[in-house]
Amino acid sequence: MLEKQVTLTNGSGLHARPAALFVQAAARFKETSVKVSKGAKEVDAKSILGIMGLGAKQGDTLTLRADGPQEAEVVGELTALVEGGFGEA
Amino acid sequence: MQAVFGTESDALKEEMKRLMEPEGALLRMVFGLFGKKKAAVDVVCPLSGEVQEISRVPDPVFAQKMLGDGFAVVPSGGKVVAPVGGEVVNLFPTKHAVGIRTPDGLEILVHVGIDTVKLGGEGFRALVEQGARVEAGQTLLEVDLAAIADKVPSMVTPVVFTNLGERTWKLTKQGAVTAGDPVATVTQK
Repeated sequence: MLEKQVTLTNGSGLHARPAALFVQAAARFKETSVKVSKGAKEVDAKSILGIMGLGAKQGDTLTLRADGPQEAEVVGELTALVEGGFGEA
Repeated sequence: MQAVFGTESDALKEEMKRLMEPEGALLRMVFGLFGKKKAAVDVVCPLSGEVQEISRVPDPVFAQKMLGDGFAVVPSGGKVVAPVGGEVVNLFPTKHAVGIRTPDGLEILVHVGIDTVKLGGEGFRALVEQGARVEAGQTLLEVDLAAIADKVPSMVTPVVFTNLGERTWKLTKQGAVTAGDPVATVTQK
């Protein structure tokens, strides 16, 4: 299991488009379980509704928790997405 | 000759029938089991209005199906009902979108209007809370279309299957619909 904290930098938080990109990235790692939590709330990183339901906004800290054969890859990819602001200007 | 053939044919038919029967029963049983697993989920239209292809929604996040496949409704009334029975897993603080999960795990997002998150809840009233169990057709939201229509790019409402996975879906109705009308089915593969 691998755990990492990341901070949301993009303006719209984990809403619609960023949420879709995040879930698409996580879902590519079929064999690896990925959870995301904000405070006490933990959701499946592969669920659009779960991710949008976190209501994560700019400046919020998220904890990524991956468990499986590609845990380092998935955490690396999701971290890059979040810290890169999802490509938002 | 024909009579003999006929008799032979009848006998053959009987023989085949006898051979087929147990198999037929087995097949029916197998298909019965499959039938149960394949049970289609009926989806009702969450709003009254006109059904449209999701690709016509003026927001690429929806039009390009980034959140999933589905359809859209150009609303003529502000009542939003649950498209399926299940749990309200997601009710945004701004009440502009609601997500339902069926007991089978199918998730549907109803996103009322485009860029409506920016209204901060103005014009939206929720009749249920996050975590509530709802029936298909139960009213979830009331939207004051007249009050907000001019403040957003569009009130077209995408209805998105966010985790279809191996499931398939099809529209069963097009054009004018009333909230609560069956509009689509989702089938387990």
